[in-house]
Amino acid sequence: MKNQYQRFVLTRAGQAVVVVLLAYVLTFLVISVLPGDSITNSLRDPQRGLSEEEIQRIVAFYGLDKPVVVQLVLSLGRFLSGDLGFSLQSNLPVAQLIGDALPSTLALASSALALAVIFAVAIAYGAHYLPGKWASLLRSVPSLFLSVPNFVIGLVLIELFAFRLHAFTTIDTNSAAATVFAAVTLAIPVSAPLAEVFIASLDHESRQEYAVVARSRGLSEARLFVQHLAKPSALPAVAMVALIVGELLGGAVITETIFGRDGIGTLVQKAVTGEDQPVLQAVVSLSAIVFVAVNLVADLASPLVDPRIELREVVDA
Amino acid sequence: MTSTLAITPFRRAGAGARRTTVGIPPTVVLSFLVVLVMVLWSLLPGMFTSFSPVEGATAGKLEAPSSAHWFGTDYLGRDLYSRVVFGTASSVSSALVAVLIGLVVGSAIGLASGFGGGWVDAVLGRFVDVLLAIPGFLLAVVIVSSLGFQTINAAIATGVSAVAVFARLMRAEVLRIRGAAFVEASYLEGGTLLHALLKHILPNAYRPVLVLAVLQFGTSILVIASLAFLGYGDPPPASDWGLLVASGKTYPTAPWLVYAPALVIVITVLAVNRISRWLRKVK
Repeated sequence: MKNQYQRFVLTRAGQAVVVVLLAYVLTFLVISVLPGDSITNSLRDPQRGLSEEEIQRIVAFYGLDKPVVVQLVLSLGRFLSGDLGFSLQSNLPVAQLIGDALPSTLALASSALALAVIFAVAIAYGAHYLPGKWASLLRSVPSLFLSVPNFVIGLVLIELFAFRLHAFTTIDTNSAAATVFAAVTLAIPVSAPLAEVFIASLDHESRQEYAVVARSRGLSEARLFVQHLAKPSALPAVAMVALIVGELLGGAVITETIFGRDGIGTLVQKAVTGEDQPVLQAVVSLSAIVFVAVNLVADLASPLVDPRIELREVVDA
Repeated sequence: MTSTLAITPFRRAGAGARRTTVGIPPTVVLSFLVVLVMVLWSLLPGMFTSFSPVEGATAGKLEAPSSAHWFGTDYLGRDLYSRVVFGTASSVSSALVAVLIGLVVGSAIGLASGFGGGWVDAVLGRFVDVLLAIPGFLLAVVIVSSLGFQTINAAIATGVSAVAVFARLMRAEVLRIRGAAFVEASYLEGGTLLHALLKHILPNAYRPVLVLAVLQFGTSILVIASLAFLGYGDPPPASDWGLLVASGKTYPTAPWLVYAPALVIVITVLAVNRISRWLRKVK
């Protein structure tokens, strides 16, 4: 068993490294090979105001005068040694730009994650335990949450709470109140799939024999939920954590833009408009690393948390 | 993005046990009507409005919704309802293009993976892992920024970011059906691989794939609207729904400029999602 778990860990970790490297390569190819303005052309754009000398320096650093394969090897080599290059817009190291933007996005994403879990648990609990009409109403909430675009939620919240009720201002964008409303915007679409999974697993678990037995022992529904149902119902959601991290990172682009927050999302947005390929490459690769790492941890932990999962199946799958 | 839900084994396990409903629920009928209106708006926008979507009377700018201008007018006095109707074709059909790309490419990868097995499966499996590892919206943003800011490129980008979910579902379906007794029996009777694919696998896999495609259609409308909102679609005077919301938000005194197109997006996606859920339940 222990041996098997070691093999499982090694297989999964190996796969994770391969996926991260390939994600870097794929992103590089999308950015530099697809048609559209080449980097060298866009560097000569007079709006950038770069001198010929600066252009030559950038071309030499990124190997832009060499074939794409060489550029890729250079870029990947720097990435593996921890160098993310420098921004074509501000000339600052990309690592510094990301480091500056990260705390704000982490605050936003972690509060959004917490809110999403709270929303999802509340919806699922209500959908399972409230009487008929309310329950069916709550069951349709996830589908509603999935149908409203992120930017609409943000604009409605700003209109209602900033302009009408003055609960926060759109000027002081990093205040606690503004962060809460931005987090709600980001949390709503994320809470929908979580709630769906919670509802389905709660329905499933409460029909199991152990739940029937516990009820026949005279356990109240509330205690049954806390003592027996909550843990197994939450397990399927653990497998979704990586997916949710991806959603949070993607949603941050829109949410930060609307609320005027500085962060990874606005960094991406500025890099897109400013054709700042090194910044895009770094942000996308780092999000792939985060996604893969979270997925790996969830994968490695699941057989430990839930002994019903058979390792052989997981290894061969 | 979130549609991967539909293919987690957990949800699917209970799907067979659900009772089939007789007749079509009224909300589903309503949803089909909404989709019908969207199709008509896309094909014959001129039939539904007498105003031009690009020319307006500056005298009547920023007017609130009225019987003449159902959604009000914008800062150039253009009729917003007309702009929404004329924006339907590119907002909705680009989502259709995105789904088709995801469906065709993803299914091909899934089929090859499931049938090929061995190293083919391993290689394609890693490729799908890579696509899944990059957050869907971020991937779409990078692709569209590389291809250029146009609605068709936004559609391609959205389609590529949907390839992975289709590939995963198709692979799982192939593996499930390929092992069934009736497929093995067809091999025993001398049936070829192609025969098994056309006669057994595709007919049995089409329903879950269809459910995912409809769900993905709703998601794609949202993703493309988000890209248009950020300005990565066709530039004005095009009137993609996301772009309408983005340009409306600069006029806080005229909230209908945001709410009307936003409501059209929400109603359309709700209808599409409702149809998808209905398809998942009925036999």
